[in-house]
Amino acid sequence: MDKLLYLVSEGVKNVWRHKMTTFTAVFSLFLALYFVGVLAIAGDNTHSVLQYLRSKYKIEVFFNQDVGPETAKGILDSIKEINGIRTATIIGKDDAVRIFKDQFGEDILSILGYNPLPISVVANMMRNSQDPLQVDPIVRKIDKIDGVAEVRYQGHLIKKIERTYAGIIKRFPILAGIFVMVAVLVIYNTVKLSVFSRKDLIKSLELIGATPAFIKMPFIFEGIIDGLLSALVAFPCVLATVNGLNYIMTNFTSWHIHLSLDPIIFVWLTLLAGIISVFGSYRAISGLLK
Amino acid sequence: MIEFNNVSYAYDKGRGVTNLNFTIDDGDFVFLIGPTGSGKTTLMRLLYFDLLCDTGTIKLGSFSSDNLRRKQIPLVRREIGMVFQNYHLLDDRNVFDNVALPLHVLGYRGNEIPDRVEESLDLVGLTGKNEHYPSELSGGEQQRVTLACAIIKEPDILLADEPTGNLDPVAAFELVQLLETVNETGTTVLMASHNYNLIKGRARRILELKDGALRGS
Repeated sequence: MDKLLYLVSEGVKNVWRHKMTTFTAVFSLFLALYFVGVLAIAGDNTHSVLQYLRSKYKIEVFFNQDVGPETAKGILDSIKEINGIRTATIIGKDDAVRIFKDQFGEDILSILGYNPLPISVVANMMRNSQDPLQVDPIVRKIDKIDGVAEVRYQGHLIKKIERTYAGIIKRFPILAGIFVMVAVLVIYNTVKLSVFSRKDLIKSLELIGATPAFIKMPFIFEGIIDGLLSALVAFPCVLATVNGLNYIMTNFTSWHIHLSLDPIIFVWLTLLAGIISVFGSYRAISGLLK
Repeated sequence: MIEFNNVSYAYDKGRGVTNLNFTIDDGDFVFLIGPTGSGKTTLMRLLYFDLLCDTGTIKLGSFSSDNLRRKQIPLVRREIGMVFQNYHLLDDRNVFDNVALPLHVLGYRGNEIPDRVEESLDLVGLTGKNEHYPSELSGGEQQRVTLACAIIKEPDILLADEPTGNLDPVAAFELVQLLETVNETGTTVLMASHNYNLIKGRARRILELKDGALRGS
């Protein structure tokens, strides 16, 4: 028991004795954890950002001039039944005049003496799909409905957004893998350097008959402490980044996006830091022990 | 007892020691002399199994190189105290922590350690220097701390590899006297040196090495 207490206390003391080495290790670990954390949150929030953008997708369906309110209602129901349509709202002829006035500042009735604006429907698309949305088939279906004169939608923009999303979904695992790998290498090599800088201590311990376990234990405890310290520094920074972005988006943009932060990310980051520093310490010392 | 039977060791780039045969009885004080590069340090390293001999057998108490397993090497070293020319003290720890380290390795209880450290420091004449760091001590004092580290675990054998190499004549003389005091308690002492003046006049057995071979005993 005394021996174990001594080894733990040595691990703690080493953190203090080698402040500069500890600082370097903790800082590298912190940077790696911070970027991995931000990346994880970005990944976690990609879909909610996409949902927001999809909520802005709008398909405008203009009916023939001869379509009356009753027929329009029937067409509206047909549009609502199309797979991929979330909501559809009818815009009557009178509503169209009002909207025209709002947008152009002119009363079309007083200019032309009659209302040339057709009844129309504004449809919004489903936004929860994990797969990229296909707008063209929906538009083709709407176009085929009797009474529909014209369908307008932001086809180019929607395609671009959906293509970008599909690209992110495809590449994200690779990007995340590379990022985690880089973080692991940075942490591992920092810990390794920290151990190599104390090879004299390891040699001295070997010469006085310390077993490999006795030599390794303080380094492993030190690795755990470094990992926890870096996680403690990284958490508030990740939190501040998310809150900062939310503040900017709420107060300085018209985007209604709120980034969420799943606390489980902190558990994963702590585990990542702890496991890599312990593994790095263990491997580095094993390399130095004969 | 230390026993070398036809022991040879060669480094990758040559040299080392060749066909060493000698015995040192328990409680002896033996000087190992020879010019630089004669194989004194190699012999010492073979003794604490930092190097493993190519041929022959080394016996150290109940341990023999013939059937020694790697796991047993720490156990052998616990029976040996070592003093080096370059002290091998840990600069980031004070004198107390340096001297106490071997006791922690041996698993002593925390409350037994302070008294034993005090005793060892008293023996080497460093009473009251507990809190000093190695960098705050003279070369002679640092070497005494090394000696305190070596003797605190009451080893059967004390190996001193050029312990006076970095010391002035007075400090060197005092250190040899300390080694003799340790020897009087029953510890076998093997001291390597190329300083003949320090050795001559002392009625001790001398092993002489030259070009890796034993020239005289």
